Amino acid sequence: MNGSEHILAAFHRHNISTVFGYPGGCIMPLYDALVDDVGVEHVLCRHEQACALAAEGYARASGKLGVCIATSGPGATNLITGVANAYMDSIPLLVITGQVPSALIGTDAFQETDILGMTLGIVKHSYLIDDADSLPEILEDAIAMAQSGRPGPVWIDIPKDMLLADVHTEAPAPIEPAQPECPDISPALAMLREAKRPLLYSGGGVSLAKAEDSFRAFADSSGLPGVVTLKGIGNAGRHNLNDLGMLGMHGSRAANRAVDECDLLLVVGARMDDRATGKLDGFAPNARTIHIDADAAEFNKLRPADIALRGDLNAILTAFTDALANQGLVIGDWQKQCRTWHTTGGFRAADNEEPLAPITGPAFVRQLSGIAGDDAIIACDVGQHQMWIAQYYQFNHPRQHLTSGGLGTMGFGLPAAIGAQFTDRNRTVINVTGDGSFMMNAQELATIRRYKLPLKLIVLDNQCLGMVRQQQELFYNNRESHINLDDNPDFVAMARAFDIPALHIERTDQIRRGIETILAYKGPMLLHVAISREENVWPIVKAGASNKDMIDEPRKTSSRKEQVA
Amino acid sequence: MTPSSEIASQSYTLNCRMSQEAAALERLCRVVRVRGFRISKMAMESAGDSLDVLLTLEGSRPVAMLQSQLEKLHTVTGVELMSGAVARSRTA
Ligand SMILES: Cc1ncc(C[n+]2csc(CCOP(=O)(O)OP(=O)(O)O)c2C)c(N)n1
Repeated sequence: MNGSEHILAAFHRHNISTVFGYPGGCIMPLYDALVDDVGVEHVLCRHEQACALAAEGYARASGKLGVCIATSGPGATNLITGVANAYMDSIPLLVITGQVPSALIGTDAFQETDILGMTLGIVKHSYLIDDADSLPEILEDAIAMAQSGRPGPVWIDIPKDMLLADVHTEAPAPIEPAQPECPDISPALAMLREAKRPLLYSGGGVSLAKAEDSFRAFADSSGLPGVVTLKGIGNAGRHNLNDLGMLGMHGSRAANRAVDECDLLLVVGARMDDRATGKLDGFAPNARTIHIDADAAEFNKLRPADIALRGDLNAILTAFTDALANQGLVIGDWQKQCRTWHTTGGFRAADNEEPLAPITGPAFVRQLSGIAGDDAIIACDVGQHQMWIAQYYQFNHPRQHLTSGGLGTMGFGLPAAIGAQFTDRNRTVINVTGDGSFMMNAQELATIRRYKLPLKLIVLDNQCLGMVRQQQELFYNNRESHINLDDNPDFVAMARAFDIPALHIERTDQIRRGIETILAYKGPMLLHVAISREENVWPIVKAGASNKDMIDEPRKTSSRKEQVA
Repeated sequence: MTPSSEIASQSYTLNCRMSQEAAALERLCRVVRVRGFRISKMAMESAGDSLDVLLTLEGSRPVAMLQSQLEKLHTVTGVELMSGAVARSRTA
């Protein structure tokens, strides 16, 4: 077998059945091998960035490894944003690129880039193959490494001659996953029992560790009030009464208040990102910290931990649940206090009762959440719409919420939704995007058409780069600078050009019908939602300020009715 | 760590043992730079399949944070923070 055939053999050994890629010169030997392979579905996206982001959407929705492939030079450099996105959010990705033949490396050959050098900072690890016989072992290592511990992208750059060369070695036996590690929790348990106002602060690490069930069991049995990061949304499920929702820059007043007043922060799989903590000095100022994570480098990185527990989140959370089964926590007053805050300071945006009134983002998302049900996957882009989804959509599981957390990549949503749809063609997958973000990977409408994906697209069109406009309004004296998109194309016509039927709505009384229509339609469909240009995301904490200093919406005096999410 | 927890710039010596792999040294130097340290001296020696790198660094962030980031590198097999006296005698 040659190098290319070994790659496909590795895919088969690891049940990798879907990969996202784009061909070109140096990767052609692998594409040639794909011609005869029936076990691997290769999805041709229309831009390599979308290949990487689709592979990520696939990995996020399924918990499996995502795989993307590209050629050398521009193919490889086009992957970079997607791979950086996966790195920031710790998504397991195997990236395979062709490279110019070994003898040409370092000669400035056609389509040569030092992709290994360029990407050192955005990969968990990377390889440049210089001996075809090393390929089987490196593939095994890379596949295991991408998914183990704290997951992340692993990149293998393969010169064309290595793809063609006969390989004289066999793949080693697959690497057994390490035994889950569980440190002694007794000091942490004692600290938790001592606390009067303990708060659970969870993030994306919960689903990365596939610890959703043990997290939920712990959250339910402990009764701990909880806040979540953007990536932790859904950790506690739709029905946990102690879940205060997202904290941080666009978090709820209730969540930020609870953090401010707690006396113990139990951090589970969260990395104290600045968007979540605000100014660190003012973050949970009265609390001791127990930090649970798979990655030791997260401890004391931004906030000192009184107790750090490194290990398998499943094992650690189960140990806590078991320990609390005999004797629960006595935190009734604190729970009550947090629930009161949730009632008065949960996400509250006004619903306009007036049927002909313009649509607002929060009102739209709240209805979408009610109609789309417990099982839909929402892939969003970056901006105000992303925050409205985080605030007002009631997620039942973190894998239902695909969002670009660490990198904040506009253009993430559509390819991520495509990837998610490949995990289950019958599942409802909805890309909620803004008019700016949509145009960043709009070429992927062609991918939807080609693979007949029943994806639903919702464009919340405020004719501007809303999140930037909002910041300019609030923090730059309303001096608008290059945010205007009032010359957007006709999105309905654009979708139709790709055989995707589309609807336009603009009034409150059209929301329900619009959502129901696209969800009922068997194939892909786009809903174009005109929303006000002036709407802002509330509350907001100015970058660098303390979460305590969050700014609320100035009081409106219209006939709007407030609802708490 | 946060600017508020930064201390005045200090000098540290780290002994890093690494496997001989493509870009091992670049990865090491990159992490040192990104995590806020400056390399003032560096000595490298091959020992079979390993590379021993002795780094003298300056920085105002906690060195433990750098150490744990370096330990995450797949190519790094061990990082040792040298005490002052040992460090001086071994520094290049
Ligand atoms: C690739 C990329 N470029 C620029 C930004 C900076 N940015 C963040 S939000 C935003 C505006 C997004 O506009 P739109 O998609 O229309 O969403 P809205 O905020 O209007 O809901 C911009 C430009 C980014 N996050 N990603």
